[in-house]
Amino acid sequence: MVVSSDAKELIQALIKAKKNLRIYPENNPVYVKTVDDIYARITGFLDYTDPLTLKFKQYEILFDGDVVYHNEEKEESLALFFFKDGVRELTFKKGIPRDEVEEFLRVLSVDFEREALDDDIVTLMWEKDFHYIQYVVDDAFLIDDETYEETAVSQIKGSSADTEGILKAYEDAIGTERAAKINVVPLTNDDLRSIIQEIENDPPDKTLNLIQVLFEMFFYAEGKAEYDELSQFMKSTLEYAIGRGNLETAVYTIRKIRSSIKEGLYDSNINIYLRGVEQFVNSARFINLLGEVLDNGVEFTNDLLYEFAVLLDKNAIPHLIYILGELKNISARRATINILSVVGKKDISLLARGLNDGRWYVVRNVIYILRQIGERNAIEHLTTAVRHPDKRVRKEAIRALGEMGSGDVLHILKGCLSDPDESVRITTVRAVGLIRTPLSKKILVDEIAEKSFREKSFNEKKEFFEVLSRWKDGDVIDLLVKILRRRAFFKRMKNDETRAAAAYCLGLMGVVNAMDHLIRLQGSNNRLLRENVRAAIKRIKDGKSRG
Amino acid sequence: MEKAGVNTEVDGKTILNQFAVVLRTGNFYDADNVAVKSAVEKFLNIANPAIEAEGVFRIDLIGEYFYINDTRVRYPLEYILNFDYLVREFRRRDLGSVIFDAPLGVDDVKAFLKTFINSIYSNTPFEAMEASLEETPGIRVEKLKRVREEGSLDRRKIVKKSYFNAVSFTKGIMNKLRAGEKVSLKKAKRVVESMVDTLLAEEQLLIGMTAIKDYDEYTYHHCVNVSVLSIAIGQKIGLNRRALTELGLIALFHDIGKMEIPKEILNKPTAFTEEEWRVIMRHPYWGARTILKLKGPDKISIRSALVAFQHHINRDNTGYPKLHEPMALDFYSKIVSVADQYDAMTSSRVYSRVPLPPDRALSVMMERTESQIDPILFKFFVNMVGVYPIGTLVLLDTREMGLVYECNPLFADRPRVMIIVDKGGKKIKGSVVDLTEKDSTNRYTRSIVKTLDPNKYRINLAEYLL
Ligand SMILES: [Fe+2]
Ligand SMILES: [Fe+2]
Repeated sequence: MVVSSDAKELIQALIKAKKNLRIYPENNPVYVKTVDDIYARITGFLDYTDPLTLKFKQYEILFDGDVVYHNEEKEESLALFFFKDGVRELTFKKGIPRDEVEEFLRVLSVDFEREALDDDIVTLMWEKDFHYIQYVVDDAFLIDDETYEETAVSQIKGSSADTEGILKAYEDAIGTERAAKINVVPLTNDDLRSIIQEIENDPPDKTLNLIQVLFEMFFYAEGKAEYDELSQFMKSTLEYAIGRGNLETAVYTIRKIRSSIKEGLYDSNINIYLRGVEQFVNSARFINLLGEVLDNGVEFTNDLLYEFAVLLDKNAIPHLIYILGELKNISARRATINILSVVGKKDISLLARGLNDGRWYVVRNVIYILRQIGERNAIEHLTTAVRHPDKRVRKEAIRALGEMGSGDVLHILKGCLSDPDESVRITTVRAVGLIRTPLSKKILVDEIAEKSFREKSFNEKKEFFEVLSRWKDGDVIDLLVKILRRRAFFKRMKNDETRAAAAYCLGLMGVVNAMDHLIRLQGSNNRLLRENVRAAIKRIKDGKSRG
Repeated sequence: MEKAGVNTEVDGKTILNQFAVVLRTGNFYDADNVAVKSAVEKFLNIANPAIEAEGVFRIDLIGEYFYINDTRVRYPLEYILNFDYLVREFRRRDLGSVIFDAPLGVDDVKAFLKTFINSIYSNTPFEAMEASLEETPGIRVEKLKRVREEGSLDRRKIVKKSYFNAVSFTKGIMNKLRAGEKVSLKKAKRVVESMVDTLLAEEQLLIGMTAIKDYDEYTYHHCVNVSVLSIAIGQKIGLNRRALTELGLIALFHDIGKMEIPKEILNKPTAFTEEEWRVIMRHPYWGARTILKLKGPDKISIRSALVAFQHHINRDNTGYPKLHEPMALDFYSKIVSVADQYDAMTSSRVYSRVPLPPDRALSVMMERTESQIDPILFKFFVNMVGVYPIGTLVLLDTREMGLVYECNPLFADRPRVMIIVDKGGKKIKGSVVDLTEKDSTNRYTRSIVKTLDPNKYRINLAEYLL
């Protein structure tokens, strides 16, 4: 025997489930346990009482004539939750599978307050198309005029048919009226196939079609208010499209706007509004949405990104830089960098403002983009970046200067050679090496000549020599040999390190003339020196035999 | 273990389809033919496990639909021809149910097949089948139940209510929009869902409602009619319930731009001037605008705006609004356009002014396929409303006159007719006859010989159909 106390418990459990499913995701044990619990309760109930029917009043739920729930709190009343959308009765039938219970609970747990849905509880249940849950709804609240049917029907019937007309028709029919003609053409498998195909091919995203319609609508619009309205529709359509990962619609729209203006399709007053739409894709709003979808993992082809980027103008630059700093996803950042590398060209100094961004990675990316663009007028903006507090930024800036600059940046780079960070200095050495002027060579040679050079690590020293080795000039060789031969009484280990680096480079350059000096050192006590010397000797020999 | 009915439904349609394949091939080939053999084997492979699991396997034809063990079978479009065949053949034999009580062997099925095929030559095919199946213990048959008659009044009432609710709701929406008030899409959805439910249960009755034209409330009726007819087309081409609601909602709003047309023009009893036409032809533009203003872009509002704008544009891009660039029409625009043209032509308030009788409207539309309306959708439409749509005034070969009351989707030229004038030329308050009825010599009792224009004789359909 099922008593109303069981029903009371079931309802309390439903209320708990309503909360739990809101909070916990599907794979959470609490979620699973909640569904299991309700499923067990309902099936247990149905073993004794089939079907199980709950009736709803405004603030009450009834089972078998008894009030099993009463709550007048608007926010939390389960009775009102169902009642306000017209639900009057809810019935569970025996055999209900767990899935259906779960689906029901999911509907129950929808937060109608927070989610701006166009669906009410009945629509959601309707869409689930339950097999074991039935509900009775009262649709009366949907219409304002409840007596409509009655009055309408009596009115239609009121204009009564007259017997005369019918009999006249009969007379005519027996006489002359035409015979029926239409033939029913039976449906064929081909018909079915082509309809199925049409349904399958129907694109889920129809924003582009709407944009086409809006372009047509401009021809029919009258006055500025309507132009404005249409342009707002266009913008919100683009917004909606990009929000769902569709960038094609924006590309199409901007291109179409430009060609329409060029061909003079529209009145010049309309063009003003169309330009507003064109500007919209450069706005923070649009770019932020683009950033969001990119970060959610939507990937666009490089071609599409490029097509889009060329349509942007400089106004988009600051917004793109902003999202660059916000994006979490690597491929999203890469996409943004690609866009900026195209649109950034339109205003280098605007792009360079990104160098003042507080986020070091943004600055580094902006430098990277400036490097990609490779325009010489970007150089002036980089001169301060080499003093950026973050070494990763300094390195990027130095690299960029090395790639883009000529002799005129050497004085900046020279300063970087005394950067406190070794990796920055190494980057600088390489950058200086990229600029192949006599001055760059001189800078390196001078640095080597400094007393402090000895204190540098082997790696750094090696970098100096390696870069220098590219010149293959006599004086470089002389310098290296000289270093190789240099003995020291103090700080011998540091000196040997320098000599080892020189030996390494001589080997790299294949300087045959240095052979004697190297051979003399191959028995050195210093392991680093010894090994580098031996490697150099081998290298020079091999090079010779090959050459 | 619980046997969930859901499984029965999922497999049910496949089993039923294979059952149809067996009957069709068996009807075509000799029983020992390879095609028949393999069809039977395939059927047994899928049917026997179900029979074993469920203990009994009932196939019931109730109204237009098959039920397997009391669960209605929803079938995909691919199966539609086989299912139509099955419905037709069951009806021809007055066969309502086939029941398998025990797992079947090849011989059982063959015996059934033979009985089934031969029964059609009998004057009482069902009784013939029943008698001959006595020797096949695993299979039983039951006679077709005339469910249509039972509670028919109640069903009509429900359908009527659903229809008039929709009209009233539409009127409310239009008035609210005119007054600049907000309208609730939630409610609109609910109204359309109710129509979808009604249509799925009582297709012909609901379509019948569209034949009633209320001239005073024409605009609202028209919206609802186009919605009903569009949902009906959508259902025929296999759209799911959710898609049907969307389509129905979009169709309901297709003429929403008309609320901007001054009432004096909209309800003008005489012909329009050129200037008035220009105003009327702006309603697709206004419609799209209204929808987009009502609701920011989302799946439904976008499509709704497309349909509002495109529903008077033809396949070849003629029509209005005149396009400046070629445009592919939305699939729903094509559906709505078929429904819209039909309803507009059979009503007196728009475009044609003089309403056409339903069958005339269809033949006019027939001429418009290819260039204006989608020929395949039109084919579906004709198959749905029949050659003689509800409301057609017909003369029968018995010299009786009647109104088409309900179409028979399987016998398009054999609807159910309400007799309003008897053989002797006397007006009667009609009984409804089924034109598929046969006499003892297996000949049809009644057939249509002519159609007439009910408007010409000012016959009020409402009196009979409501
Ligand atoms: Fe229209
Ligand atoms: Fe219309």
